[in-house]
Amino acid sequence: MNSLEAETRRVVSKLLEEKRVDGVIAPRRHQGCTGPHLFQRVEEVEKLVLTPKYPVANLCLLIQTKHPEAKLGVVVRGCDERAIRELGKLGQIDVEKLVLIGLACTEEEAVRCGCSQPYPSRVDIGVKVEGEKPDTKVAPIKEKNLLERLKFWSENFSKCIKCYGCREACPMCVCEECMLEKWFWVKGGEIPPEIPTFHLIRAYHMADKCTGCGECEAACPVGIPLTSLYLLILEDVKKLFGYEPGRDERISPLLTTLEEAPISE
Amino acid sequence: MTKEKEFKPKILVFCCNWCSYAAADLAGVSRLQMPPDFRVVRVMCSARVRPEYVIKAIARGVDGVMILGCHIGDCHYISGNHRTKKRFAVITKLLEHIGVNPKRVLVDWVSAAEGHRYQELVTNFVKTIKELGPNELGGLSS
Repeated sequence: MNSLEAETRRVVSKLLEEKRVDGVIAPRRHQGCTGPHLFQRVEEVEKLVLTPKYPVANLCLLIQTKHPEAKLGVVVRGCDERAIRELGKLGQIDVEKLVLIGLACTEEEAVRCGCSQPYPSRVDIGVKVEGEKPDTKVAPIKEKNLLERLKFWSENFSKCIKCYGCREACPMCVCEECMLEKWFWVKGGEIPPEIPTFHLIRAYHMADKCTGCGECEAACPVGIPLTSLYLLILEDVKKLFGYEPGRDERISPLLTTLEEAPISE
Repeated sequence: MTKEKEFKPKILVFCCNWCSYAAADLAGVSRLQMPPDFRVVRVMCSARVRPEYVIKAIARGVDGVMILGCHIGDCHYISGNHRTKKRFAVITKLLEHIGVNPKRVLVDWVSAAEGHRYQELVTNFVKTIKELGPNELGGLSS
């Protein structure tokens, strides 16, 4: 791990010294805590760390909104790169202005996330390891019959305290007006929120966006297996349209109409 | 005396203004016999039916939802029914994953001249829903 950190620090320092970027987004160890930071000076770089992982795609959006001209370097893992690509397609961030520093996750990290592609398209730091099969997470749920599934999910959904943690942590949730806050869709002042409306609306919105980073599940204070639900639906979208969010250069087929092969009845 | 109460399903039928609503109208004026368990909602296009409407209907205890549009290629808005088809393919899968029978949501196409087809679809759908019984989520949400 330490050798990876040393390597990352070297690459980031080089980028900053050569003035190829205005700043680099990466996690920083500061006052005993780890959080995201925009490294702009070479002296700071010694505080750069790599664990725990932090979703950086949202930060690119945040910084680009205020400073559209800034040239940013970003230390990206596989999931971050997929999120950045997806946000680029949605017109949220300017991918041209980003310099991606690819970081491959270690095998231990890949297993912990159950990630199917724990490496970005170009690996600058670390060694590429093959991902977990997504089946390990979703297979136990797929084996259940309809009634067992209903019981499993309604038990889980009824734990929800409507903290919106899943939405806040999600790198893909960028809508300025969220449907889940509108009383027309999900009535306010109720805990748990309407079952399963709240979670199904979110799952539908994730069907063509989710990059499988697992931040929603990690953020959930009551431990609802949200990533498993999204992985299940991602698998279907792949089967139906051959589309994988974050890995495909195409725009989501749910947003287009006649661009792809004609649909028959 | 204690005759078992017959299950009367609540079924929503979304009809597009240009084809399937006209077909429903035709079925009506032709006096075709249909079960009385469905309520028709007229929308301008089948793509007007947000998937969230169907999620909410099912969550609120509606037993079945039909979305009827123009045949593929005949959409008044050229490509509306393409969207419908893609969206509801995802929604039925999603409902299946959380344990709702995917047969409760049906997307089909009826042209303005197909009154008989409309009758057939609705009759079959009501039959399927009666066989499935009340909505699994019925007791969970108000």
